[in-house]
Amino acid sequence: MTAPRSALRLLRRICASFTGTTGFVIVAIVLVAALFAPWVATTDPDRLDVMNRFAAPSLAHWLGTDHLGRDLYSRLVHGTTVAMSVALSSIAIAFCVGTLLGVVAAYLPPRLERLVLIVFDVIASFPSMVLALAIVAVFGPSTLIVVIIVAVTLIPHFGRVARGQVLSLKSAPFLEAERILGASFPRIVLHHLLPNILGPLVILASMDIPVVITIEAGLSFLGLGVRPPLASWGTLIQDGYQYLSDSWVPVVVASLALAVATLGFTLFGEALRDAVDPRIGRER
Amino acid sequence: MSAAGATRTDEMMRYVGSRLITTVLIIVGAMLLLFALTAIVPGDPATTMLGPQASPELAKRIIADMGLDQPLATRLWRFFANAVTGNLGIDVISGRSVTGLVAEVIPYTLILTFSAIGLAVAIGVPLGIFAATHRGSVLDNILAFVSVAFIAVPSFVIAIFLLLIFAIWLDWLPVLGASRTGGIGDELKRMVLPTLALALGWIGFIARLVRASMLEVMGEPYIRTSRAYGLSDRLVTYKYALKNACIPTITILGLGIGRLLGGAVLVEIVFARPGLGRLIYNAISERNYPVVQGAVLVVVVLFVLVNLVVDLSYSAIDPRIRHDAPDPGAPG
Amino acid sequence: MTPPLVSIRNLTLEAATARGTAHILRGVDLDIGRGRIVGVVGESGSGKSSLASCLLRLLPTNVSRIDGQIVFDGTDLNALDDAAMNDFRGKRIAMIFQDPMTALNPLFTIGTHLVDVLRRRHPGLARDEAMARASAALVSVGIGDAPLRLRSYPHQLSGGMRQRVMIAMALAVEPDLLLADECTTALDATVEAQIVALLEGLSRGFDGSIVFISHHLGLVAQLCDDLCVMYAGTIVESGPVAEVLANPRHPYTRALLACELDDHAHGGRLVSIPGEVPDPVALHAACVFAPRCSHAIDACRASIPALREAGPGHRAACIRFEELA
Repeated sequence: MTAPRSALRLLRRICASFTGTTGFVIVAIVLVAALFAPWVATTDPDRLDVMNRFAAPSLAHWLGTDHLGRDLYSRLVHGTTVAMSVALSSIAIAFCVGTLLGVVAAYLPPRLERLVLIVFDVIASFPSMVLALAIVAVFGPSTLIVVIIVAVTLIPHFGRVARGQVLSLKSAPFLEAERILGASFPRIVLHHLLPNILGPLVILASMDIPVVITIEAGLSFLGLGVRPPLASWGTLIQDGYQYLSDSWVPVVVASLALAVATLGFTLFGEALRDAVDPRIGRER
Repeated sequence: MSAAGATRTDEMMRYVGSRLITTVLIIVGAMLLLFALTAIVPGDPATTMLGPQASPELAKRIIADMGLDQPLATRLWRFFANAVTGNLGIDVISGRSVTGLVAEVIPYTLILTFSAIGLAVAIGVPLGIFAATHRGSVLDNILAFVSVAFIAVPSFVIAIFLLLIFAIWLDWLPVLGASRTGGIGDELKRMVLPTLALALGWIGFIARLVRASMLEVMGEPYIRTSRAYGLSDRLVTYKYALKNACIPTITILGLGIGRLLGGAVLVEIVFARPGLGRLIYNAISERNYPVVQGAVLVVVVLFVLVNLVVDLSYSAIDPRIRHDAPDPGAPG
Repeated sequence: MTPPLVSIRNLTLEAATARGTAHILRGVDLDIGRGRIVGVVGESGSGKSSLASCLLRLLPTNVSRIDGQIVFDGTDLNALDDAAMNDFRGKRIAMIFQDPMTALNPLFTIGTHLVDVLRRRHPGLARDEAMARASAALVSVGIGDAPLRLRSYPHQLSGGMRQRVMIAMALAVEPDLLLADECTTALDATVEAQIVALLEGLSRGFDGSIVFISHHLGLVAQLCDDLCVMYAGTIVESGPVAEVLANPRHPYTRALLACELDDHAHGGRLVSIPGEVPDPVALHAACVFAPRCSHAIDACRASIPALREAGPGHRAACIRFEELA
């Protein structure tokens, strides 16, 4: 098949610009760190060494230690896994549910379609951080809750784009032709519609990754996201922030990691969008 | 294609009407959601709130105070009826009205948010125009990269860096809180870093948006017409093109205000400033549901109203009135 | 004879495209006489609109080369810098565009458009004086309720109405040269006829020259004094309308005429010229029309034919026009 080759061509186009290459390199590093955290990390991220608090960076502790003497580098690496699993799972949920709702909405009678759109509007009218706060207030903080909240806030995002795409394609001549030739409705949707609307949705998903990382880190920073001892970047920043008067190293290191990762995914997402179709971003 | 005059006002009224109805529907939907959330609190909310050691009598009193012994429908009705009259419930811990609590802190959040937007527009729009009119120049490229960086990095991370650099290392500005002495000068100084933390991402965002919109508009046939008649660059750029470029900018700005409010919550906490964010955050730690519910509702209503104002102002700029609202794509 | 208003010599325009350099204009020679109405016809892609863009130097950003001379009343426009060129736009040269739906800025009233253009034409013109002139300009193009229309936005006007506004705008600046680029193509047939009638009437009171670009030979015959037939970036035939139509010398002109006649006979474009317009990226060393010409011989494919005198003021670029007559 030509899939690997076209993927390679896409990659070459993404890396055509300096910003695209930067983004790709950062994304690759983050993904490797997330997938192989136990091997990339130098030590157990949760091992306490209270005698060795706020140690300066050294060969044993590449980025020094935190207020409990835990190895910062290893905690950062494991934080990558947390960030990526939250981001990817919530986006996967939002992608599936949102696309389904969007496609269905496009085929519903106008009244019902309006209802779906209003539900989208209601969800979108909650600033996602505030919605998260309201839900955490009720259910208490947990990783699962974070995933669900983020997924819910992103559903309208995918739903609207999917609906728009379907509407613009619905009466396209090639679909008309299929219908006249007697193709069944599910066949039209699965074989003709979905493949054609997938591109913009995938780009949307990639551009949502930094947004999700930010929300998760923000919630964890408030102590309302991932629970300890799991190390999220947000938790690391919070820990460092609490002990700012002892050492500025942990907070700076964790903030930088978060900043570089979100920047990397943003650059990558934009390069991907430009490589596939420069128009998509503008429609939003 | 309608004739000028009367029909235009009709169109306008119909648009405003449908927009108002949607707004009301969104607020009602948001209230239902908030009500549902508190209605499904796992376990008995009063005990959760007070802790297991609380005496049963106290728990009973709280339950009665909150009306939790009533049937669900009654509670829903009371929630709506009270909200309409401006009563958002009672803070079960201090016994004060939630409306009062919100009213006390809302100016802080509003001033912070709007000064951030003001700053971002004041800096971002000229930068965007500059980038569009100097397309491909070194400054344009630098600006493009810096904009992405500011957009991508979460505002609370920017807040932490600003705090470290300007308040701790350089010691130029006061670190935390709002002014206790009430002096305007002192309060202004304390506002600088939080405003900057919120605004930086938006400066980048607006600059990019204005640049992209300007470039797109500059390629439109009607701009070609203006050029064909020899109108000066200044007139073409600032009068004809800028107004067209404003439409997408304003829309997305309005939709992005939700993210800005979310960012403001975190920034308020980083800088230990009073505000809606802090109010909600503290209420969550105390499991003070009525306060969370009331304050979140206020944030949502605020956000929806801002969007309404933005939408209507945007239809005032654009005589054609577009109905399709694009998605927000704003920094956090 | 007085010198022509515009004298174009060897005008060459190239643009960079993804497939290589596109040759938009391949050395065009054309004179536009004072007070004459010159019709330019050709298929899409023949370079007729680019010719107009060159006269105003409003070119797309991918243009890589522009060469030759455009002598306008003694001044070579191609030698001017941008500021000096801009002095001609909206003062001595005005243009009417193809699509009246997009040529007016949707966010500004008709009045604003006209007033800005008038105040650029006459610096120092007071606002209400400009408004009065704008109103008069609208009346002159047959727009009745001018005060109301001045306050209207473009989307509130029909296509024909908008094109009238564009014409009013062009005439309001009293140019020496008016460029009308396919100004009726985007309109309905009935509206098209009205606009053509309007132009016909207006041209009698207009001292300047007009370049009327169209792919519709019938309109040109109705409206113009001179005709210029373009094909693949070159002029293949030019001369007085009556002379060229009565006595077409270039096979391409004849083919166009045949299409037009057929159009009227059948009420549709049933017969077309076989073959395709040449690829603009390709370089030519022969007659550009040879691949589609039923009369082409080896000599046609050997060199590029020059425009030759075929009658009084009538020129054609075909080596065989004597034998084919």
